[in-house]
Amino acid sequence: MAPLVSLRDVDFAYEERLVLRRVSFELEAGESIGIVGPNGSGKSTLVDLVDGILRPRAGEVLVNGLPTGKYRRRDMAREVALVPQHFDLDFDLAVREVVEMGAYCRGKGAAACDDAERTLARLGVADLVNRRFSELSGGEKQLVVLAQALMQRAPLLLLDEPASALDVSHQLRLFDLLQELNCGGLSVLCILHDLNLALHYFDKLLVLSDGGVAAFGPPDDVLRPEILEAVYGVRAYMHRHAGRTYLTFSPRLRSKRRGRIHVVCGGGTGAGLMRELVDAGYEVSAGALNALDTDEETGRELGLQMAVEAPFSPVGDEAHAENLELMRAADLVVVTAVPVSHGNARNIGAALEALGEGTPVWADEGVRANDFAGVTDGLADADVRFFDGEADLVAAVLGRDTAATS
Amino acid sequence: MTRIARTGTWPGVLLAAGVLAACLVLALALGPVSLSIGRLWELVTAGPVQGDLENAIFWQIRMPRVLVASLVGAALAVAGVVLQDLFLNPLTDPYVTGVSSGAALGATIGIVLHLSNLPWTTVLAIVGGLGTLVLVWMAARRRGRIDIFVLLLAGVTISYLASAVVTVLMIRASQDMYAIVYWLMGSFSGRGWPDVEIALFAIPFMIVPLFFTREMDILLQGEKRALELGVEVERTKRLLLVTAGVLTALAVSVSGIIGFVGLVVPHIVRLLVGPGHRSLLPVSLLVGASMMVVADLLSRTVISPNEIPVGVVTTFVGAPLFVYLLRRGRGV
Repeated sequence: MAPLVSLRDVDFAYEERLVLRRVSFELEAGESIGIVGPNGSGKSTLVDLVDGILRPRAGEVLVNGLPTGKYRRRDMAREVALVPQHFDLDFDLAVREVVEMGAYCRGKGAAACDDAERTLARLGVADLVNRRFSELSGGEKQLVVLAQALMQRAPLLLLDEPASALDVSHQLRLFDLLQELNCGGLSVLCILHDLNLALHYFDKLLVLSDGGVAAFGPPDDVLRPEILEAVYGVRAYMHRHAGRTYLTFSPRLRSKRRGRIHVVCGGGTGAGLMRELVDAGYEVSAGALNALDTDEETGRELGLQMAVEAPFSPVGDEAHAENLELMRAADLVVVTAVPVSHGNARNIGAALEALGEGTPVWADEGVRANDFAGVTDGLADADVRFFDGEADLVAAVLGRDTAATS
Repeated sequence: MTRIARTGTWPGVLLAAGVLAACLVLALALGPVSLSIGRLWELVTAGPVQGDLENAIFWQIRMPRVLVASLVGAALAVAGVVLQDLFLNPLTDPYVTGVSSGAALGATIGIVLHLSNLPWTTVLAIVGGLGTLVLVWMAARRRGRIDIFVLLLAGVTISYLASAVVTVLMIRASQDMYAIVYWLMGSFSGRGWPDVEIALFAIPFMIVPLFFTREMDILLQGEKRALELGVEVERTKRLLLVTAGVLTALAVSVSGIIGFVGLVVPHIVRLLVGPGHRSLLPVSLLVGASMMVVADLLSRTVISPNEIPVGVVTTFVGAPLFVYLLRRGRGV
């Protein structure tokens, strides 16, 4: 059987401006596919092509194996329903009237009198049926438009950023609904901006970038940091939390690298600092840390070079040597307010060694308060700059370059 | 907002039909010679009879005049609903398409050339109106689509152009200026059965939109949404635009340019029955007819035996009402 939707080498242009180039993908019946991509990457255009409102300049858009141009509008509406991005109505219509308009494509009298009510009930908002459309909130309007589209009883539902105007609870409710409808057999093709929602709610994702398909496949394969970096120009980090993967982002500075900083930390004392430094464009290393330590996990998410020791073990010779190498390569060594015991006392020793070899060492005053091994006095004796807390330390490090140049 | 006919189409339509019937009876009965209800009934059943003054007043003067007024009012109201909702613009009236100015130009040419009032001036008015519709249409056509905003702008522009030509003609033929101005102001004075015959052509065009009420409802959401929901937008739009244009041309050709009915009646009816076209169109048709019949009645009775041009009456009634509606904000 032909796939429900199939695009083959589709080009599309508004006037002379090419918006989509050689886009190909297929949607099988029952699938849910999310479309993501930066603003202006051609997502809405793609959806309008699938609905036959726009015609491709080259290539083919097939719905049920038939080119969209061969459909009369009414027949198309029976195959494909669309939930638009913006929807408002300046006229004072009843919600029931608005929802019933969706049944137009099924012919006169297709909407039985309780049809609108039942469709709204599926969305959990049966009580809206006798309200005026103009009195509804944005979230309610969105659900009414979804109900209108469902009244078409088409096997494929297209959605253009359905959640962009919704608060977080309405957003989740909407996507849960879509998932439910999808489980009931409805195919879904949905544009969205929130990559975490995309990651969790769709069978496949289509990443559009500058009019072309940058990636297409299961969410875990597609939303990889390197792809996101290439498409959006931001740094992406993947975190596992409570059994789910989440993405966080920070703007990637396109300026030149600002130098290398090694962080001596542990137990979560360095997580914020490492993140700030990475975001600011520094190349950051850390160590020595125990595997499974909070800072070690953060460092891994940030993709840092680290000297790592086995979990719950004192720093051994190998990790210590590696740590020293990293410190020597750095322009600055930073010591956070990490608690120091005999397990990680060698890190302080390493910092002093690096200082002796000419790498400056800056430290958080707090490290001395949490010293259970009595080694940090060595820092005070040597030429180490101390800062009063993490905020001062971060400010000083980030201000280092400007201070040096001024 | 309270509505009279929230529950269905028929209560509203029947009520409006009742109002129209009352207005027709009133307009047929009142005038310099007032006729009782009983006398009206006798005259209706007797049919036109020679040599009876009241019979002549009833059948030769009042009946055609009232019929023309009601047909023109209905045509303008229907055209107003269609155009307002196609343009999605509450300030649209049947005259923005330029059709009325084209018709006025045609009529002016007829008057200047001293063609008798009927049929040639009227025919020229129809030709002018429909010719303008074709021009505006061609201007708004792009790649097989009608751009509704270009259409609006082209209509207004051609409207000005036609008015300019009318002005030039008035100056050149100053002896006809009175006739031209009187025609432009709009009146039902002296309309007879030949005018009724022309106005009757409007009836099929008033009925056409009634078959497209669902499409028109859906078009309230904009052309793109209508496409998505399965409406053949271009075909529907073309058909409705031509219908509204022909209605306007026919109305203007027999009555001149009578303002405000096509603008205000759709708004009043929307407030009463809502924007759904299944009620809005038939009720507007009936209310438009009623309003025009009453306006004409006032125009010929208030300062009898002189007449106020009916356009002045509709404007006096319509302007304050419209300002009131605008003051209600988004109630329009």
